[in-house]
Amino acid sequence: MTTTTAVSLTGVTKKYGPVQAVAGVDLSIRAGEVVALLGPNGAGKSTTIEMLLGLVRPDQGSVQVYGGTPTDAIAKGQVGVMLQSGGIIEDAKVGELLNLVAGLHTNPMPVREALESAGIADLTDRKMKGLSGGQKQRVRFAMAILPQPDLIVLDEPTTGMDVESRRDFWASMHAETARGRTVLFATHYLEEADSYADRVVLMRNGKVVADGTSAQIKASVSGRTIRATVPGADLAAFASLPGVRNVETRGDVVLLQCADSDDTLRYLLNNTPAHDIEVTSADLEDAVLAISADSAYQERESLA
Amino acid sequence: MNRDYLMFDIRRTLRNRRVLIFSILMPLVLFMIFGLTLPDDANEGGISAIAYVMVSMAMFGSMSAAMSSGGVIAAERDGGWNRTLRLTPLKPQAYVTTKVILSLLLAIPPLLVVFLFGLIVGHVHLDAGQWVTVALVSWLGALPFAAIGLVIGYVAKPDSVQPITGLATMLIAAFGGLWLPVDSMPSLMKHIAQLTPAYWTGLSSRSALTDSGLDMQALLVVLGWTVVLGFIGLRRYQADTARA
Repeated sequence: MTTTTAVSLTGVTKKYGPVQAVAGVDLSIRAGEVVALLGPNGAGKSTTIEMLLGLVRPDQGSVQVYGGTPTDAIAKGQVGVMLQSGGIIEDAKVGELLNLVAGLHTNPMPVREALESAGIADLTDRKMKGLSGGQKQRVRFAMAILPQPDLIVLDEPTTGMDVESRRDFWASMHAETARGRTVLFATHYLEEADSYADRVVLMRNGKVVADGTSAQIKASVSGRTIRATVPGADLAAFASLPGVRNVETRGDVVLLQCADSDDTLRYLLNNTPAHDIEVTSADLEDAVLAISADSAYQERESLA
Repeated sequence: MNRDYLMFDIRRTLRNRRVLIFSILMPLVLFMIFGLTLPDDANEGGISAIAYVMVSMAMFGSMSAAMSSGGVIAAERDGGWNRTLRLTPLKPQAYVTTKVILSLLLAIPPLLVVFLFGLIVGHVHLDAGQWVTVALVSWLGALPFAAIGLVIGYVAKPDSVQPITGLATMLIAAFGGLWLPVDSMPSLMKHIAQLTPAYWTGLSSRSALTDSGLDMQALLVVLGWTVVLGFIGLRRYQADTARA
């Protein structure tokens, strides 16, 4: 069991003053999984990661990394970390910093290789303080993969990157996951979680509110959305259809959220002048919004 | 100690030469003011006055150079560097040792320059054995201040670390008797002086110039200060996980 479990958090909580940053998280990550920790700012992602790395001690619950404490796993060089910000020395050169990090680990890859994987081989002699935000993120990425860790933890790795560098970043990341490394990354970009993670863990208000593959999370929100141009639409009639859950309009355009889109479609075509009809299934964003709204509703209920 | 970390810090220090130059100039200027104005036959407790001032100023220079590491550490912490270190296998003891050794290296240039100045310009007469002993003991005297620099680096914020270090250096040097001999002060001042590590580093260094040999008690107090302050620095390092 312990040999295949990379990370195990059990009943972990953390309170900062009156704020319950993490309110009971259970999370188990198997070796080789690529897991996205998804959630809005303040959901507790960073605190969860800090506890997982042993930087913050949980109030309650236990944290295990490869069957031991986070500190032990780090001491063995099993964990590579890319922090969200800071964590570098501004007046050092890129090459100097990477050489130092290599010297602090027992089994690093050649510095040259890490620089090339991160796409910054040409920045070796540049000082950190002259780099753009995206370039600094690449240096942090190189620092994370340099020790050849079993587990890579990335806290919002693409913050401050433009679209193109973000794509390049994930391409380099992909090479690392292909080597069978276990990866946990926090993000608030749905698209990143959807495209790059085997498994999405959705956090909200310090709790895990959904956990599964991107497809499973999408499927948990059933139904489809029909979008059609309907001049002079009778909204009340749409709303009363058995397969329709919600109706919205934007001018002549009607958006119908449907539990049963087939029946609704049949009705539209037979009884209304609807044209330009599109049927789409829920994407991860819809699912996240629905789950978040649902958990917010439950919280209100439990308070009442 | 981690060799790569030490080399990394040395390279950065050599790039930032202002600190280095300042740590040499300060004791040199003070040496000229206090030392070269003395009458030729002046002496203090059996040691020629110029040699006495030379040792004190060398100690002051090595002390301020060793303490200057606090500013660098505070700036590193402010940038969240300690988190990065904590997430590597680097042992806290290795970190503290590396920083203390760096401070010891920083203490060498002011010592050398003040001693050379004393030899060539001040005409201080010592035999070769005395020069070697006084240089080594003065160098070891930088140890407690290396540890103080470490502790200040963990207590101060980057914007206050310079004034704190400056003030601490001056107070310790003045009250510890590095600028003016404690023996010529009221006895209360002597009691206060004994509470500073500088008094003991000065005492042990100057004892290298006397016939009675090294003051082992003073050396032990110096090492005691180093161990206690080094331990405080170690604990501060272990407790520090602040975000950038």
